[in-house]
Amino acid sequence: MAGKGRLLVLGMALAALVFGAACAQPALAQTLTIVQGTDIESLDPHVVTSSPSYAVLEHIFETLFELSPQGEIIYKLATGFEVGPDGRTYIIKLREGVRFADGTPFNAEAVKINLQRIQNPATRAAYANLISPITEINVLDEYTVELKSKEPFGPIQVHLAHPGMSMISPAAIARGNDYVARNPIGTGPFELVEWRQGEQVALRRRDGYWGEPAKLDQIVFRVIVDDGARLLELEAGTADVAIRIPPTEWQRIDADPNMKVDRTTGLRTIYMYFNVTKPPFNDVRVRRAFNYAVNNEAIVTALLSGAGRPSDAPMAPAVFGYSRQTPYTYNPSLARKMLEEAGFDFNRTYVIYHPTGRYNQDALIAAAVQQSLRAIGVQTELRTMEWTTYLDFVRRPQAENEVEIAMLGWGVATMDADYALVEMFHSKQHPPAGFNLGFYSNPAVDAALDRGRFNADPQVRLEAYAEAQRLIWEDAPWIFLHSELQLTGLRENVHGFVVHPTERYKAHTAEKH
Amino acid sequence: MLPYIARRLLYAIPTLIGVTFVIFISVRLIPGDPAVAIAGERATPQLIAQVRQELGLDQPLLIQYGRFMVKLVQGDLGTSLRTRLPVAPEVWRRLKQTLLLATVSLVLASAVGMFLGIVSATRPYSVWDNAGMVVALLGVSTPVFWLGLMLILLFSVELPKALGLNQPIFPPTGSGTWKHVVMPAITLAAYSTGIIARMTRSSMLDVVAQDYIRTARAKGLSERVITYRHALRNALVPVITVQGLQFGTLLGGAVLTESVFAWPGLGRYLVDAIFQRDYPVVQAVILVIAIGFIIINLVVDLLYALVDPRIRYG
Repeated sequence: MAGKGRLLVLGMALAALVFGAACAQPALAQTLTIVQGTDIESLDPHVVTSSPSYAVLEHIFETLFELSPQGEIIYKLATGFEVGPDGRTYIIKLREGVRFADGTPFNAEAVKINLQRIQNPATRAAYANLISPITEINVLDEYTVELKSKEPFGPIQVHLAHPGMSMISPAAIARGNDYVARNPIGTGPFELVEWRQGEQVALRRRDGYWGEPAKLDQIVFRVIVDDGARLLELEAGTADVAIRIPPTEWQRIDADPNMKVDRTTGLRTIYMYFNVTKPPFNDVRVRRAFNYAVNNEAIVTALLSGAGRPSDAPMAPAVFGYSRQTPYTYNPSLARKMLEEAGFDFNRTYVIYHPTGRYNQDALIAAAVQQSLRAIGVQTELRTMEWTTYLDFVRRPQAENEVEIAMLGWGVATMDADYALVEMFHSKQHPPAGFNLGFYSNPAVDAALDRGRFNADPQVRLEAYAEAQRLIWEDAPWIFLHSELQLTGLRENVHGFVVHPTERYKAHTAEKH
Repeated sequence: MLPYIARRLLYAIPTLIGVTFVIFISVRLIPGDPAVAIAGERATPQLIAQVRQELGLDQPLLIQYGRFMVKLVQGDLGTSLRTRLPVAPEVWRRLKQTLLLATVSLVLASAVGMFLGIVSATRPYSVWDNAGMVVALLGVSTPVFWLGLMLILLFSVELPKALGLNQPIFPPTGSGTWKHVVMPAITLAAYSTGIIARMTRSSMLDVVAQDYIRTARAKGLSERVITYRHALRNALVPVITVQGLQFGTLLGGAVLTESVFAWPGLGRYLVDAIFQRDYPVVQAVILVIAIGFIIINLVVDLLYALVDPRIRYG
């Protein structure tokens, strides 16, 4: 009898469970739930460094200019831009009648306060160097601001379009960094409801937004570290959008009638650089041979299920200034022959350093490179490190730098060749100063890059960058691998959700129906 | 009893000071610069130097330690290097979530584990025994991330689909309602269940071979009374030890489960902080876990006395 009673209770509990689930209140129709793998670092847009942070904060904050997914400049808080006759004065007209969420008016003074805050070392703004050429910020009138630089500064507009240049309410800034870190007050279409660290950020539509109001009432960004669980949230229908779904799964998801996959080109290029000061990699023949030895087409097809694009330039096609080069098509016998001609030492083991879990399938890609090299008789050893340690290790000054070959990726947040190439290849950017980690140096490349930077004429810039890319491609300071595709899973009923090539995304115009 | 507890708590103070010192030094021994982690991979050397100075990381270690201790005794766990927000409220929020999950899963693991252990021990080498121990072995050896994903797949995706529901039976991830606790608790309990089952079984087998059990049978007591009052109670001491250890481990070691279920617990917070070299957070979380262990040890010792009257503290 007791046994039967227990069974009954169990049955009732189960029934209640199923019934309860079935009757649970449907969530607000216009709440969009986005699951991503990384939490925001802070609520202060000037100090955060990662695209997941910007993706969230861009719904609260706005910049003077913005880049469309196609790389065109959109006037956001600015309405006009003019370069003075000296080529180093920039007049920016501002949008009138815009207010921050706390009621503070947006005007020239606000722009000045924000740019000064970014330039102030005490802010520790991550992207202060984007506007380091600006030497003067003048308020001409309520809605006109004048910037000056020492030399003409080509990419100024795209640099001001970087989300690290977001406009924060001057009233909030006046209350100090700690206040800004807790109270994100911008001019954007959404405002913060709550940030539960490591868990979620909830935003709601803001009344009084100057532009077209958002269709969504709320956006909830949830943090789910595990790739599989993130995907299951989407499959269960408890999330509307899943950021960065595993490359091995996207075809299955796309085939499901309830879901779709957005494949947007990324601006992140994955590469392995050589320390070109260390033999045998100071020999261009060896570097080119390695490029011929690696089958990056196969890497993209097999390891990324097509969610990538084999490199045909040191940057992705969506970047302004991209110029296609002739790919080093997979040719192991040619590679072997070139190495023999160069007197390459096949008896030594070379070390390849790579991160794990930082880029799509990074460890597997490193293994694929190792295998390709083994096929032509080059022995390599793979070594991996945890990310922060890795960064520290690869950025050591030349005398202490042990790296021969290492894998990294570079995302071009400004969608401009200056950002894509200068830090990677300019000889002034050797570590620890910059990110030219292989100590590559070519005066002709430096000259071309400088021409692109200190010039406002787009045509001159395009030509300069084309030349730089041609020289870099010939010098082969990298094993050019591929650029990543961004895989975003969406429920079928989500419309108007924009995935941006900069690994950010915008739900301003999104709706569910 | 009370003076004993007071003395134990007093002894805990030097232990904790030792713990703070060891953590403080060891987090700084990990290669990787927090200033780099904070300022971002693209930071200039000037910015990195600036951050280092602002955070006091350019000071000698002993001075840094001194500052940390002065703040600590004032109850200030510091400010996160990364978010610039105070650490204490965040630790507290996560500690509550961790305690909830750890408690539910330990209760679950104890109930199932002890039941399996008793069944096995009272019918040694039978089908029941073997079946019970296979379950225990599965529990110990199933990877949590796999089990977690399978539960989500079953209860949040496939089963609702099969039953024609438009809502998952249990929400896949997150926290907030009792439904959120079910799957992570089961996942987390799997391992502990196995351990507790095996410990209960072996401890019970020891006890049932004792003379006083034979005496109890000779007195004509029912098997039920013998099993639960005489055998189990005497077999409990090692089981309680294991439970205590498991609970302690759950406080900081539930990282994988927390990752799969996006459960906002201490483990994930700690691991993220280690990756970010967020020293104040690492220190605070390890300190809280250490305090947790000290309290659990004390409670376990007191429980010994409760189940075994021969154990007395004075």
